[in-house]
Amino acid sequence: MSIDVKNLTVSYGSKKALDDFSFDFTEGKVYVVLGPNGCGKSTLVKAIVDKYAKGNIAYVAQETLGIINLTVREYVELGRYNPKKFFGGLNSVDVKKVEDAISIMQINELEDRLFDTLSGGEKQRAMAARCFCQDAPWIILDEPSSSLDVKHTRLILNIVRDLCDKENKSFIIVLHDINDAVKYADKILLMKDGKLIKETDCLTTEDLTSIFDTQFKCINSDEGSAYFYAL
Amino acid sequence: MRQHNLHFYLKLLVAVIAAFAAVAVSCCLGSSNVTLKEVLLYLSGNKDELSKSALIIIEKIRIPRAFTAAVIGGSLAVIGSVMQGLFKNPMADPSVLGVSSGSALGASISIMLGLSGPIIGGSITGNYIAAIIGALVTWIIVFGIARIGGEFDPSSTLLAGIAISSVTSGLITLIMTHQKDSMEKIYMWMLGSFTFSTSDKLSVLIVSAIIFNSIIFIFAPRIDILKLGKETATSLGVNMNVSLGILMTAASFMLAICVANSGIIGFVGLVIPHVVSFFRINKARQKAIMCFFVGAVFMTVCDIAAKSILNPGEIAVGAITDIIGGPYFLYLLLKNRRVRR
Repeated sequence: MSIDVKNLTVSYGSKKALDDFSFDFTEGKVYVVLGPNGCGKSTLVKAIVDKYAKGNIAYVAQETLGIINLTVREYVELGRYNPKKFFGGLNSVDVKKVEDAISIMQINELEDRLFDTLSGGEKQRAMAARCFCQDAPWIILDEPSSSLDVKHTRLILNIVRDLCDKENKSFIIVLHDINDAVKYADKILLMKDGKLIKETDCLTTEDLTSIFDTQFKCINSDEGSAYFYAL
Repeated sequence: MRQHNLHFYLKLLVAVIAAFAAVAVSCCLGSSNVTLKEVLLYLSGNKDELSKSALIIIEKIRIPRAFTAAVIGGSLAVIGSVMQGLFKNPMADPSVLGVSSGSALGASISIMLGLSGPIIGGSITGNYIAAIIGALVTWIIVFGIARIGGEFDPSSTLLAGIAISSVTSGLITLIMTHQKDSMEKIYMWMLGSFTFSTSDKLSVLIVSAIIFNSIIFIFAPRIDILKLGKETATSLGVNMNVSLGILMTAASFMLAICVANSGIIGFVGLVIPHVVSFFRINKARQKAIMCFFVGAVFMTVCDIAAKSILNPGEIAVGAITDIIGGPYFLYLLLKNRRVRR
């Protein structure tokens, strides 16, 4: 099931954060959204969730605000919440999915800690686990690796790739790291000033310069893939 | 997981037993003596074996008062846990929406106009009705302001509540200084007391408590979901505006009844949810249910203190909740800081 976004516009006051965005996200792919700060990436994914989520999209926000006051285990269990079940708790399938998500994100040891006492990166892993135990075919992640170390960035992006390749899940991910985007995305969306500038599966230095206003150089890494760095 | 639930039910069982024990003890204590045996005889339905005076004291004074204290303590604690959860703020309490001060303004106006006498039945007084009207009017104003822009925003609702509270407090002060005769009555009303509990008021209280607390218990799991933010809640099939509206409305209505019944009693709604989380109960529904019984125990104990310390005189129960609750809360806070991390 694809998400066909049509003419999405979001304004904050007189400023258009998202300006007439249209794009057909087809299923079974990893889309990565790249763009400078304030170009409307987060606004885009929030608006998509707002408008198109009907139990088919799992979403992880950029950050968690306020006191959550739940243990990590209880926090991840929220991913199995079903508003139609007023009284029932979690059944054995739910428990299995929660436990699987906890173990793939390697947060077993944090299970009984309070979410609020975790470090930024640990919180992000718990947030990802909560989202991975949902059943939704679409998963939207807003900067899932912004506080993660190299090892856990690899972990989460490898899980994304695996879920896409093996379970045919579809992803829309906002990322800052250009080379992570190149390595893991099927398609890269370049955004600037609330507009979709280009969609591509083969990024060039000109593309990057046009949206980031910075000179880039590309070298070929040992594995043969392109590697970009800013001058 | 299963074990965790088992622990919850054990803790709940202890709290329920403690609540009933506290109520039974509270029925025995007061300016004249009634034995525990007599109370138990009454509660088990063997009224014939009681002396006439004991029967009247238990039925007309002790039972209404003890149950009123328990139900109000419990409900205030539930409301407190809802507010702290919805506003994701550990310092929120039932007064944050300004509903209780609106209710106090209603009661002050009625005291000023001399409407304190009974209006419906023997005990539903003008003050009681005015307090409920005051609460509803503030509720409409706060929610009207909070809804401007089309959707509920917890932080602007909170700020609107604070603003409305200060306006109403100002007006109450104005009334008190203008009408010096009413000052003491208004002041006593604002301190909170269970002295004037009657079975009529108790039945209204119990029916409302059953309705509004059930609504809160049913929708409580959504409090946890709403903590994740609006979009994540949407992705889990929870509509933030609807859920916030239902929970805040149920909590405000329950609070209006509580305040109309026995004035503004502070601290319970702030402290009890924290006491419950110190016992490692975090999930919103479990927490709300547990809060009810722990709040009931706490308030009943405070009421026992209020009526026994200066026997035959009385201390305002609001003062007792502060005196007992404050140090206990500080103790838990210190202990908790050492353990929690």
